[in-house]
Amino acid sequence: MKPIPSISNRSSRCESALTGLRSSESRFTSAATRWLIVLLALVVQSSDAETILLKDAIVHTISGPTLSPGNVLIENGKITQVTTNNDFTADKVVSLEGLHLYPGLIALNTSLGLNEIGGVRATRDIDEVGEFDPDVRSWVAVNPDSELLPVARANGVTHIEPTPQGGVIAGQSGLVVLDGWTTEQMAWKKPVALHVYWPNMDLDTTPKEKFKDKAKWKSLEDQAKERQKKLKELDDYFADAAAYASARKASTNDTALNPSWEAMIPYVRGELPIMIHADEFRAIKAALKWADGKNYKIILAGARDAWMESIPGLLKSNNIPVIYDNVYTQPSRDTESYDSHFRAPEILRKGGVKVAFSVGNSTSDSALIKNLPYTAAQAVPFGLSAEEAVKGITLYPAQILGVADRIGSIEPGKDATLFASDGEILDIRVNVRHVWIAGKELSITSRHTRLYEKYRARPKP
Amino acid sequence: MTWLKNIFSFLSVLLVAGQIQATELLPPGNRALPLGVHAFVGGKVIVKPGEIIDGAVIVIRDGLIEKVGKEDVAIPPEARIWDMKGLTIYSGFIDPYLSFNSIGATEAPAKKSRDLTAGKFFGVPAGDRDPGNPGPGSELSAITPERRMAKTFAPDPKNLEKLREIGFTVANVVPEKGIMRGSSALVALSEVDPNRAIIRADVFQHVELEGSSRMEDIYPDSLMGAIAAVRQTFFDARHYAAEHDAYEKNPEGKRPAFNPAAEALAPAIHKKMRVVFEPNSALLVDRATRIAREIGLDFCILSSGEEWRRPDLAKAAGVPFIVPLDFPEMPKLPEKDDWAGISLDQLRAWDWAPENAALLRKQNLEIALTTFGLEDKKNFRKNLRAAIDRGLSEDDALAALTTVPAKLCGVEKQLGTIAAGKFANFTVVSGKGYFDLEAKVKAVWIDGVFYRTDSEEPKNEEAKKSDDEKKKDEAAKAEKEKKTAAEREAARKRIARSPMAGRGPITNPVAVLIRDTTVWTCGPAGRLEHAEILIRDGKIKSISTNQTAEAALPKDAFVINAKGKEITPGLIDCHNHSYILGDVNEGGLPSTAMVRIGDVINSESANIYEQLAGGLTAANVLHGSANPIGGQNCVIKLRDGATPEGMKFTNAPEGIKFALGENVKQSNWGDKYKTRFPQTRMGVQTFIANRFTAALQYLKEWDDYKKNGKKHSVAPARDLELEAIGEIIQGKRLIHCHSYRQDEILMTLRLMQSFGVQMATFQHVLEGYKIADELAQAKVGASTFADWWAYKFEVYDAIPYNGSLMRERGVTVSFNSDSADLARHLNFEAAKAVKFGGTTEEEALKFVTLNPAKQLHIDKYVGSLEPGKDADFVIWSKDPLDSSSLCLETWIEGKKYFDRSLNAARVTALEKERRALTEKADKAAKSDKSPGKEDIAAKKKFFKISLEHQYDFRDRHCEREDN
Repeated sequence: MKPIPSISNRSSRCESALTGLRSSESRFTSAATRWLIVLLALVVQSSDAETILLKDAIVHTISGPTLSPGNVLIENGKITQVTTNNDFTADKVVSLEGLHLYPGLIALNTSLGLNEIGGVRATRDIDEVGEFDPDVRSWVAVNPDSELLPVARANGVTHIEPTPQGGVIAGQSGLVVLDGWTTEQMAWKKPVALHVYWPNMDLDTTPKEKFKDKAKWKSLEDQAKERQKKLKELDDYFADAAAYASARKASTNDTALNPSWEAMIPYVRGELPIMIHADEFRAIKAALKWADGKNYKIILAGARDAWMESIPGLLKSNNIPVIYDNVYTQPSRDTESYDSHFRAPEILRKGGVKVAFSVGNSTSDSALIKNLPYTAAQAVPFGLSAEEAVKGITLYPAQILGVADRIGSIEPGKDATLFASDGEILDIRVNVRHVWIAGKELSITSRHTRLYEKYRARPKP
Repeated sequence: MTWLKNIFSFLSVLLVAGQIQATELLPPGNRALPLGVHAFVGGKVIVKPGEIIDGAVIVIRDGLIEKVGKEDVAIPPEARIWDMKGLTIYSGFIDPYLSFNSIGATEAPAKKSRDLTAGKFFGVPAGDRDPGNPGPGSELSAITPERRMAKTFAPDPKNLEKLREIGFTVANVVPEKGIMRGSSALVALSEVDPNRAIIRADVFQHVELEGSSRMEDIYPDSLMGAIAAVRQTFFDARHYAAEHDAYEKNPEGKRPAFNPAAEALAPAIHKKMRVVFEPNSALLVDRATRIAREIGLDFCILSSGEEWRRPDLAKAAGVPFIVPLDFPEMPKLPEKDDWAGISLDQLRAWDWAPENAALLRKQNLEIALTTFGLEDKKNFRKNLRAAIDRGLSEDDALAALTTVPAKLCGVEKQLGTIAAGKFANFTVVSGKGYFDLEAKVKAVWIDGVFYRTDSEEPKNEEAKKSDDEKKKDEAAKAEKEKKTAAEREAARKRIARSPMAGRGPITNPVAVLIRDTTVWTCGPAGRLEHAEILIRDGKIKSISTNQTAEAALPKDAFVINAKGKEITPGLIDCHNHSYILGDVNEGGLPSTAMVRIGDVINSESANIYEQLAGGLTAANVLHGSANPIGGQNCVIKLRDGATPEGMKFTNAPEGIKFALGENVKQSNWGDKYKTRFPQTRMGVQTFIANRFTAALQYLKEWDDYKKNGKKHSVAPARDLELEAIGEIIQGKRLIHCHSYRQDEILMTLRLMQSFGVQMATFQHVLEGYKIADELAQAKVGASTFADWWAYKFEVYDAIPYNGSLMRERGVTVSFNSDSADLARHLNFEAAKAVKFGGTTEEEALKFVTLNPAKQLHIDKYVGSLEPGKDADFVIWSKDPLDSSSLCLETWIEGKKYFDRSLNAARVTALEKERRALTEKADKAAKSDKSPGKEDIAAKKKFFKISLEHQYDFRDRHCEREDN
């Protein structure tokens, strides 16, 4: 397989943050070619109104059958035709013979965008102070010039959900598109979810003498009381928010607005989803018990133990989808099978639960969002079908966040947000060759390719 | 008082010849001492385990046993007669391991913690000393072998009473803090002045292999550091003795330094004092044994209570065990779901605990019992009963309380049995004897003095009761007894399986023939289709594309029809921290070359199975990256079920971990870490150069000594740090250097070249692509991550093309895990080299097979499938670089260690065992009936996570862990 094509170092200088230059399959070396790229870039950038035909690709529509080969027509940034017919033309025709065409990948529940270098505090904007911060908003703090974003995009990721952390209610996330000059242009939909980090339900059984901070040690009974208290606080917060929401409905007087309670309104009214982050068995069970009978839209994220015992059934009956972060974590109990987290997505699917994938939202994960397809792929040899794995990183995330009318599959009427790869995207050896967002082709260069080209060109001794 | 004592002893000498042996005459006003002659009549005397005299007579005089026998023994007229009818008399019990703190005396004031902001760096050779030991002694505060319990013994009488109440008359008081703790003292548990109470000073030297980090940032700060410190201290003591010996004979030249710590170890290294090791875990029994043999010590072991994990290691130790009976007890959990937080291993530990003593006996080991670890000593008898119920014979139990501890403590001539001339120490028990829980310890005698232990007066209430009430009571009693018997019967049955169950090779055939399959040889033969591999005696015999006819198949071969499947060499991880007991880092010093990962290999880790299930067969287990010169690494094979030594790749050359950059300059450790040298990349070079120069001097010193013959009489002191660095210079030890930036990589490469050292690998080497030509030219390997980057500043320039680009320029490249998770799918990491930079598939697979083998200098044995090499291989469901492929079987040396088709049954068995144990535990928790107050310590102990399993569910990297 060929290494990915890329533009030379110098031409990258005229590249904006994310509105990069179009790359092509040949390698550019001469100065003349570089000028050509600039010209081409100008053409591409001024071509919003034109029609583009993506021709002869293996089209993974996701929502329907795969067309092999098929054609996709783009008009004004939207998909207008997805067909095996050949009998129409466009202003621009791109031959994708032998390439696979997919809808853009959606990275849910990520620290990407809020973090540059995990080890450097100054570059982290993930965790806020306070237990209940619903009026904290992730999409305002995304750095459009982060070097991490083009790396994710170069492997087909077109939308990310930067997710706030810290406390119980950490804040709200938006869906951010990886194209735009400014944060405002990139905040594609906002807000999309409220983030609740379920209080710890497990017990710390470390004896006092081994406890680092002795003053903080608590007996099992005290811990049991404390977790009940935390649950009560959480429940109270939602009850108070609901009371505020109904007061706001009844009244036209909005002089004494409270930003925290205002932020809660769409969630307690069940208009937007609440993403509950919980991994441990007891925490998941407690969260499901809490959600039961409430009119909230719930999403379970993290979900390490969601495959256990009665949980899949409870998820199904409450119609709660799962964002599974834990494919690449080890089993957490000595009676578990070595592959328990590899198998979890299929166990959930079989149980009637919709499963999307996430690489994880830890600080170190933000640099590796490009591996999203492999997280899904790992579940395949353990039972999940490849189709379901791909849906878990495209259509299902879109459905979970309520944006499936615009992204998540290749269908007429949806945004022309696509990528073409030289093989199936679940295959690690495969490279992405083109990325389009709303019909615009974007660069697949990054800090990685720039450094690669630079040092590859270092003269041999 | 001294003058008084002198007068009394003078008087007693005078009176020896008299008719009536007088005791000390006290000054007027004191109650006069009795004659001290007693006769026990009519009791059942257990002279020693297995030897009983019914209706015996014992005569005691002046604290010693005068006569023992049947009725024919004459009772002297001056004797007080004690009617012992209905009582059993044992030789007084001996506790060989009574902690100093538990008898109410306090130890020396707590050591001051190091003040990290003071601007000094402690602990480095020739640097400032660890301030823990004021005055002469070891430079390490945890090493105090010169401490003597005989010097500080001053018990609280109340605590002695608690021991007497359960029958003990003598105990060996042991120091409790530190790594090398000092010497114990055997004392009578009587209420006499300490000078008289001490029977024998300096009984044992005590060494604990500390299992967990002390997090004080003082060396040693880890288990492996503690072990290294113990080893070095013993070597120092040996040298000290020789040096002082020589100087005494010929006091010329430089005067040797005085060191009470080294001096105190002289009896131990000359086998005149036994050393008790406290290893705290089943695996460390093996380590303690090996160190003791390496140094040449007489030793015994304090049982961790967990030898059931690996009885083979206890058996191999072959020395007596001192066995505590502090069994874990079932705690009550707040809610039913909280059982989810209890591991099978915790349940096993609970279920096995009472059987451990019997299990040690079954290994033919001598055992002595101790009350050590019991918060409430009253639970001792209950737990002893449980141990007997689980197979310990009553004779063995009695021996473990009398003859064995007497022998261990070197007082078998004075204590341990009831015989004329021995100390008049007895344990007197009513009813059916000591092992019956209903029986009472009525009294103990210590040095011929009576101590009442049963404070209960006979109850008169019985008489007042009506016949009806009596009947009711009896019925209730019978009912209770029945219930207790039923409960004991239930407890008697062990449900927990051995952790060894289902481990070890699944199949171990003489020969294996794999037929008609795709083979990635990773050798010159490349990838072969329709190939056949013949394995014999663990080695690859042949690989060919000729098909053996059905009829010609070797008769002794285990035949695998692997059509449609693909075979690769076993994967090799060049950077792994999964198999380390205790901390990954010894961060207490900037150079810890004396620390050895090989001392702390964890053969019980859950990671073994998980990583075998990903096709891994060998791993380079590395020390962390907390210091420029780290500890010695250890290459292992994942031979599940083997002992720690059995896992070692014995043909692999020795190596050592180095580290550069942010970790070693402590820039990520927090603001208080600003005083250790080095704090910059400049300083890293200075530091490493310093230690190598010191090592050169050290080598020269030894060279001179060897050349000039033995006329200097005393060999130079062995310095294990400089010895290890010296081995690098001599080309006997490979360097694996954690690194990121190109500047530090080149610096180290050139520095090592200046000392004539050929480096083996740079690990991580994330900017290796910038200096690929230099690396290739220096023939140093590069073991990198497939795609990790941007997690800290020094890896912002890391690119996933690193591996491919370096390979393109001629560097031997491997991809490593540095993670217990990634080590489960290194084949997928290798696939990333195909994606990033277009390395061919066959070359990419070598990143996790042949190339790491080359880097570890083990490619003669493993890394590719070629005749003559070890038969370490993996059977994959399809192309191993395809993300939908599955590891089906993993073989090491022609033995199968992982078989996916058996996995489901394995899990079912574990789940079944857990369910049964949970049920048993739940019942036990409900019927809790300790004779003492609620045993909080025993319940806390239930939650203990054994050293072997502390990191099963934690992904460890080389970064320093802050707990």
